[in-house]
Amino acid sequence: MDLPELVLTMICYLAATASFVGYLVTSRESLHRAGVVLLAVGFGIHVVAIVVRSVEVGNLAIKSLHETLSVLSCVIVGAYLVLQARFKLAVIGAFVAPLAFIVTLSASLFYGGVRELPGTLNTLWLPAHLAPALLGYAILAVAFCVSIAYLVQERQLKAKRRSGFFLRLPPLETLDHLNYRFMVWGFSLFTLAIITGSLLAKTAWGEFWSWEPVQVWSVITWFLYALLLHSRTAGWRGRRAARLTIVGFAALVLSFFSVNFVFPGKHGGHFGG
Amino acid sequence: MNREIIVVGLSHHTAPVETREQLAIADAEVAEAYHRLLARPSIDEAIILSTCNRVEVVAATQHPEAGAAEVVEFLRESPDTEVEGFEEHLYVHRGAGAVQHVFRVASSLDSMVVGEPQILGQLKEAYSKAAGLGATGTVLHRLFHKSFSAAKRVRAETSIASRAVSVSSAAVDLARKIFERLEDKTAMLIGAGQMSELAARHLLSNGIGNLIATNRTFERAVELSREFGGTPVPFDQFPRYLKMADVVIGSTAADDFVVNPAMVHDVLRERNQRPMFFIDLSVPRNFDPRVNEIDNVYLYDVDDLEGVIEVNLEERQREAAKAEHLVAEEVDGFCRWIGSLNAVPTIVALRRRVEAIRRGELDRTLASLRQLGDRERDALEAMTAAIVNKILHTPISKLKRSDDEDDAYYIDAVLRLFELEQEEEKAPPSKVTPLPTRRKT
Repeated sequence: MDLPELVLTMICYLAATASFVGYLVTSRESLHRAGVVLLAVGFGIHVVAIVVRSVEVGNLAIKSLHETLSVLSCVIVGAYLVLQARFKLAVIGAFVAPLAFIVTLSASLFYGGVRELPGTLNTLWLPAHLAPALLGYAILAVAFCVSIAYLVQERQLKAKRRSGFFLRLPPLETLDHLNYRFMVWGFSLFTLAIITGSLLAKTAWGEFWSWEPVQVWSVITWFLYALLLHSRTAGWRGRRAARLTIVGFAALVLSFFSVNFVFPGKHGGHFGG
Repeated sequence: MNREIIVVGLSHHTAPVETREQLAIADAEVAEAYHRLLARPSIDEAIILSTCNRVEVVAATQHPEAGAAEVVEFLRESPDTEVEGFEEHLYVHRGAGAVQHVFRVASSLDSMVVGEPQILGQLKEAYSKAAGLGATGTVLHRLFHKSFSAAKRVRAETSIASRAVSVSSAAVDLARKIFERLEDKTAMLIGAGQMSELAARHLLSNGIGNLIATNRTFERAVELSREFGGTPVPFDQFPRYLKMADVVIGSTAADDFVVNPAMVHDVLRERNQRPMFFIDLSVPRNFDPRVNEIDNVYLYDVDDLEGVIEVNLEERQREAAKAEHLVAEEVDGFCRWIGSLNAVPTIVALRRRVEAIRRGELDRTLASLRQLGDRERDALEAMTAAIVNKILHTPISKLKRSDDEDDAYYIDAVLRLFELEQEEEKAPPSKVTPLPTRRKT
């Protein structure tokens, strides 16, 4: 996708961030609404940019690191826009907008040319793998944002210092419930992505499992999230759950980048075959 | 003649409570007080506002100087007034300043606790009492209705009243920031005091689902439970029931902590770490402050809640600055209207309006009747002028009299019927600068 659209998208995300922060500080309702609108506008431009690039490439533009990051941030914002409408959670945009900005920014830093998709990967399993993977990542990213909001709110309540933030963030219980719910959804999609991914590997390379770095990392992250969700039943709610969500997300980000830089396997540097 | 609003009175800002008490006018004496007040020559319309924080007379007059003196005299003559030198506590506002004062009072900008809404109700009550006794006319009617709408605007457009400024409402606010909903939550009252009862009442009116009460004297716990529809438990057994409570309010007279961290740890395990909110309203404190260090447990004592209130009051002051600007706008609008309530300029404007209509229609007709000679033209001119004069004769003599009869009713009616107000509004608005926000001292 082309850089100008991406820059425009980034400006929208950055402006949304400023708008949300302004709302948290001043409690002006207009800034709150402006934040959501700016994110929506940015999302629209972003979708157009991805579609344009995909048409150019003749395939979904998600082959290079640049493309993947760009699509990912787009899906994160899309997931946020849907979830905030469903759960009346617009204020979480204060955390989603900067995240979307950072991801889009890193996408533009890795801007590069078009890569060819090896024919072996061109099966129906590819979208079946990519769709849940991206959506899962996005929902886990929103859960991460909800957790940060939780920690901010929790800290304020414990410290008994009340700033403007306090009034405008949702109650702790709400944030905790949403965190759990998003974790369950994100984890389910993540699980699905691993399953379809191994089926894709089987059709493409003839093996379900080939000790690919991304496979190993994904399974490690999967176990981390499984542990986290399990610990909920043992009463690990609230602050601990929020912290673990952040750790889980950090592992996710780490695995994403390490796969692309440190151990570029078939997913990253080259598709191999 | 010019009509003006005057305000004479004293409030918590200027007078000690003893003086306010002395001047306060009891409900039983109100009718007689209005009778005395309206008997004064310069007072056309009046409203008496008597609350525990202020005693004020708002009046419409055409002789502001004399009117103010008459109100002071009226206050001095009140049956209960014995305080020597109460005059030094009085303030007198005139014109735009008086309008601004009434609007600020209605918007609760002049209240002891800025933003508290009771004063608006008191003002409405005073107004309807005065109206019932026939003490109000066109001017005060409009003034008070405008002050009510100014107050409504202030409430809608600023968040002046949205912050809790009492201990129990601050506690409920905090509970709402911890729990998503209170309907499925249980509150436990440990000990019965005035403060904890108030807090319980607040929680109940905000929808808390269940209440458990315990007290050293079990009978008291039973009594409280009956009052609030809760469940009494014996004092020595309350730790066993603690796990059911989401909100725990402490107000026992115990010298020692009745709840300690170890206890809360166990309770939390039994509750599967569901969050708990402890509110310690007792001095010396009932709950060990270290309880606050436990995950998912939040403990606020009286000092903490006072701290919250302090912050909220500061926020209200900030909002009050915004409100002052809204009030200034409304004051401008009212001053323009009252400035137009004069017989002479109204008559001039009315004549000008009707003359313009006559002229326009006549010219149009004459333009199409070119065959007419000068004589006929003059006759038409004279006839239309006569019609206009005949029609205007009675309205204008009524308008002339309305100044003498202290009644702006017809002036206001003519201004509205002929839409003469708009012309007046082109005049530069009287400048009202918002008062600096007064801080609670």
